[in-house]
Amino acid sequence: MGSSRKLLALAAVILLAGLTGVAQGQVRNPDTLIYVSFADPETMDPAYAYDTASSTIILWHIYETLVFFSGSSTGTFVPMLATEVPTVANGGISPDGKTYTFKIRDGVKFHDGSPLTAEDVKYSLLRFMFMDRDGGPSELLLAAILDTHGTRDERGALKPGLFAEADRAIQVSGNTVRITLKKPFAPFMSIMAMWSMTVSKKWAITQGDWNGTAAGLSRLNNPKKPEDTSMFNKANGTGPFKFVQWDRAARQVILERHDTYWRQPAALRRVIVRVVEDFGARRLMLQQGDADIVAVSRPEQSGVEGLPGVRIIDDISRLITDGIFMNMNINVAGGNPDVGSGRLDGAGIPPDFFADINVRRGIAYAFDYTTMIRDCWRGKASAGNGPIPKGMFGHPSGGKWYTYDPARAAAAFREAHGGRVWTAGFRFGVLWNTGNATRACIASVLKANIEAINPRFRVDIRSITFPTLLQQYRESRLPVWILGWAADFPDPDNFVTPFMHSDGTYAKAQGYKNPEVDQLILRARFEPDPAKRRAMYAKLHEIAYNDVTTLYSYRVDFQVMRSWVRGWYYNPAFFGPYFYPMSKQ
Amino acid sequence: MASYIARRLVLLPVVAFGVTVLIFALLQFLDPAIRAGAFITNPNQLKAIDAIIRKYGLDQPVYVQYWTWLREVFTGNLGWSQTARMPVGEAILRFFPPTLELTLVAFVPIMLIGVWMGTAAAVHRDRLIDHLSRIFSISFRSLPSFVWGLLVLMVTYGRLNWFPPGRLSLEADLFVRNPEHRFVAYTGLMTVDALLNGQLWIFVDALRHLAGPALTLTMVSIALLVRVMRSSMLEVLNQDYVRTARSKGLAEPVVIDRHARKNALIPVITLSSLTIVGLLGGVVITETIFNFPGIGRWGAFAAQQLDIPGVTGFTMFVAAITVLGNLLADVLYAYFDPRIRLQ
Amino acid sequence: MGLVTVASRGMQVHRSRLAAAAAASAVAALALPVVRERILRFPLDFAAFLLFVTILVVFWVTPSDFTRRMRKNPLSVLGFSLIAFFVAVALLAPVLAPPPPTSRDAYLIPQTGFAADPQPPRPGHPFGTTEGQYDLYYGIVWGTRTAFRVSVLVIAIAVLVGLLLGGLSGYYGGTVDEAIMRLTDIFLAFPGLVLAVTVVAVLGRSLTNIMIAIAVVHWPIYARLLRGDILSVRGRDYVEAARAAGAGDLRIITRHVIPNAIYPFLVLSSLDMGLIVITAAALSFLGLGPDVGYADWGTLINLSRNWILGRPGEPFAFWYVLVYPGAAIFLFVLGWNLLGDAFRDILDPRLRGST
Repeated sequence: MGSSRKLLALAAVILLAGLTGVAQGQVRNPDTLIYVSFADPETMDPAYAYDTASSTIILWHIYETLVFFSGSSTGTFVPMLATEVPTVANGGISPDGKTYTFKIRDGVKFHDGSPLTAEDVKYSLLRFMFMDRDGGPSELLLAAILDTHGTRDERGALKPGLFAEADRAIQVSGNTVRITLKKPFAPFMSIMAMWSMTVSKKWAITQGDWNGTAAGLSRLNNPKKPEDTSMFNKANGTGPFKFVQWDRAARQVILERHDTYWRQPAALRRVIVRVVEDFGARRLMLQQGDADIVAVSRPEQSGVEGLPGVRIIDDISRLITDGIFMNMNINVAGGNPDVGSGRLDGAGIPPDFFADINVRRGIAYAFDYTTMIRDCWRGKASAGNGPIPKGMFGHPSGGKWYTYDPARAAAAFREAHGGRVWTAGFRFGVLWNTGNATRACIASVLKANIEAINPRFRVDIRSITFPTLLQQYRESRLPVWILGWAADFPDPDNFVTPFMHSDGTYAKAQGYKNPEVDQLILRARFEPDPAKRRAMYAKLHEIAYNDVTTLYSYRVDFQVMRSWVRGWYYNPAFFGPYFYPMSKQ
Repeated sequence: MASYIARRLVLLPVVAFGVTVLIFALLQFLDPAIRAGAFITNPNQLKAIDAIIRKYGLDQPVYVQYWTWLREVFTGNLGWSQTARMPVGEAILRFFPPTLELTLVAFVPIMLIGVWMGTAAAVHRDRLIDHLSRIFSISFRSLPSFVWGLLVLMVTYGRLNWFPPGRLSLEADLFVRNPEHRFVAYTGLMTVDALLNGQLWIFVDALRHLAGPALTLTMVSIALLVRVMRSSMLEVLNQDYVRTARSKGLAEPVVIDRHARKNALIPVITLSSLTIVGLLGGVVITETIFNFPGIGRWGAFAAQQLDIPGVTGFTMFVAAITVLGNLLADVLYAYFDPRIRLQ
Repeated sequence: MGLVTVASRGMQVHRSRLAAAAAASAVAALALPVVRERILRFPLDFAAFLLFVTILVVFWVTPSDFTRRMRKNPLSVLGFSLIAFFVAVALLAPVLAPPPPTSRDAYLIPQTGFAADPQPPRPGHPFGTTEGQYDLYYGIVWGTRTAFRVSVLVIAIAVLVGLLLGGLSGYYGGTVDEAIMRLTDIFLAFPGLVLAVTVVAVLGRSLTNIMIAIAVVHWPIYARLLRGDILSVRGRDYVEAARAAGAGDLRIITRHVIPNAIYPFLVLSSLDMGLIVITAAALSFLGLGPDVGYADWGTLINLSRNWILGRPGEPFAFWYVLVYPGAAIFLFVLGWNLLGDAFRDILDPRLRGST
């Protein structure tokens, strides 16, 4: 057959192409850095983005903030778009802690060449607050500056007068921006270091974005989907890299060096962020040098260990607290598959099962942290003693916590619910999101531990999809679930609130309400004196130990990259790699 | 024949309507809050879930949503895909050409090897080559395609560095994207576009990236073709005219080439359009493994993430292709089979 | 099918020698206290196994046209033996791999430790342990039951629905036929895996939903097959005669149509048995399979996914995580395919005369 000859020729071409592939040992694409992860960004719009993948790309690469974190510290700042970090001492912060004055740097150019002005900063902050999409990040600034949680009332209409209030709170004179808070708010500087990404006002308006007036707000407010904002797929910032293209079909974003950057232009000419879901392909790309930095999850770690020319940096502290949450008021309306019979008869649990502190203590003593840390985290996590993770201001390093002690666990269970827990036994479900191997492992450990205490104790472990998990725990349907919390900004308030405040995301779902805690959280939030604040958070951790609603742990992460990548460093507040100081050699 | 085809064409919209109803009936099983969960990427966003449900109309009964959707479809709007980060219609347009290219590239070896092996097996029935072809085709069919895919990836990329994942290498990709090079996407098929733009190296590069997934698809899809070709050939070999040809004393190769194979190809021709349709199902796994930016990878991801507009758009598009493929198969069959042609 | 009365002498000798060897090894096994104890713990499963072996032996020894044709092709014998072997493993699962006394569901694979990296075969874990330290041997033995459960149930649903709708369609013709055939068109408008993915994604992951999803994909083929058979049978003289003799519709369908359709159904469904297990494994790969830890081959293979590439420098470091479950699926599907081919060669009247 003639076609088989053609086929042969084709095979030869492909073979030849293979043989001419780039030889090993030399740096591939020396001026281009390729970062491969497994999550797509949602948007390039700094006021819409609230996911790690988007922030990794835009934050500090395309858009910059007024101040920045100093090295690996989350509590000290260096100036970025502002010329100095405001303090009480230099007059940048008013003595009452309510007014912050930022002097905007001269000579900073946007990617289109136009100069940065204080007006741009004000416009960006207002735009961030008033985009306020459902489930978006705007609340972070709204709460800090205007002490409100949203821009819309119950019926979804814009709150009258709120814009005028915001307009007054942010004053521009010459090249300074003065922000006046409703109440002093200790974490404000951390928030400014992450959520003050500055866009060009003039450029935004020519793109058809918000015109900067109250009249234009209705179009800006609460966009339905990411593509509805004009900056979804465009960018013009001041950062070290320019946005070139986001190809959603090929799942990659291309960034290029900003040559008129206000600091030394970046060493890398190009940064490419790619998404490859399959770990096998990701690993092979790293091995062949087609990827410089890749995201790898803990269970996959041994697949990249020992690869020639690959460096693994471990023990990177993250501002994440993982928890095993116990629900003190389980919602069983309409039936609940995870509480068994719904009674304390050995085949289920009543809705208030975990309301008895002895049950929670029993579980805390039964849980073998050592095994969990060794097998589920490969040793790269530690037992927590409260919501505030290690390495963050306010974390009490000497805080007490429960250690594995089956005898004490048994003693606690014997006391629970008048002794009926011990004699009748129980059965309940532990849930996590499908696909998270670490959490699956944690659930198995918890099950084995609890069931070893008494043969009448039964734990069913079950994974459900991420959306289902979120929905069900929010409705208080899950007896016990495993999830984590990552910082929106590096401040203890961002942890104690969701985990312990009766209105917080997790505590509310768990049915936890302790008036002393609620009060303490509010007082700590507005306390300007760091020493006093620290004492309050230590006190909160002590209550977390006594009330034991959640079993905390703190993880450390690792980063895998080719050894030819230079200049990598990390700060716990980062969402991903910081490309500006990097190079390849 | 014309009326036969006309009847098929008339039925097309009926089937299309049924397909949409079927998909929307399925969606009735989903709780609105679960679907709203698909719009959430971060547990820190949970407070707003009720607002999200209202915003996207997820609390409406499914028939209302169906009606809204159908109206939108007729105005050319298929909705917004959460996973593709673009409108569903645009996503289909973007993801389909690479898949089509992959399918076509895989199709050639499948047909060549399939026809050859099926014929050989039938002619030498119950002899070594028949058994070998049977073992060969059954072996490929007897392991999940993702196992084959991962093995192909390991050997051809990990060991040999021949067939990398993705669609283009970095150099080629940057060249194609750079507006200065004026690389025009005439067809959306990278190999064809590379030749039309006179860039042979991009053609080779694109082919290298197609080879891995195409090889996997070939291994998985060839089995059926071999079997069909074999039984079709066997049937023809038993027909009177072949026996007559043989009894006339014609040489065996002539009998097989001239008389038997030509007629045995009729079901294979119809099968070939169905093979393409089958490949469209196969790409779901292959593209995921090779990180090939086609419609299959998107569809699988959309299903995992409960991206409802994405899943519906993907499934319906694939269904449309299948229906058209079936129609084409019928037409070809009618054209080649004299019994129908003469009706 | 007529009985063939003469079997060759040589075959008989061979057979009796084989039977003696089998009986001897069975007695030897029974002498072991471990085996006795396990059998006594699960007498019902063992009885089912004995019954199966008896039926198998009787079937194989009884001379018939079917067995004679089967023996002529070594591949058919291989297929038959493979399936017989898997049935035996499925029936004997509790004896071969007794669930730990604390187990709540025998289908949940026991775990020894929780670490991610698989551990190689060692005493107590003959096939090694996979990601999460699930015992591979246990998973494969009990996975055999899962494989049969899934494939048999799916085939049963598909055949029943197919019989019902295909029967109605073929027998009544006209509008009923038109409506049912368009319904099959709608279901056949999706490549199998695509529809199954959508169904499982929407209904949620569970073994039951996987079965529903695959059955949804498979029934139309059976309906069409039966309809075609009915159309070809309907015009035949003996059916006309039966009708003239006053036989009712139902009687004609059950007496004349269905018996004729059984063979093609048998061929198609045995080929489908393997395909169903493969489809279920594909769903597992896409993250739509049963929960990790459930004894299911597809899930086990999916657990091997991160380890197929081995360790840097040692590409086969984790060979066992893929080889054992891979071999189980491979042989199971191979067995059904060979058996299906055998059925086709033996039962398809069109090919009957061609040898």
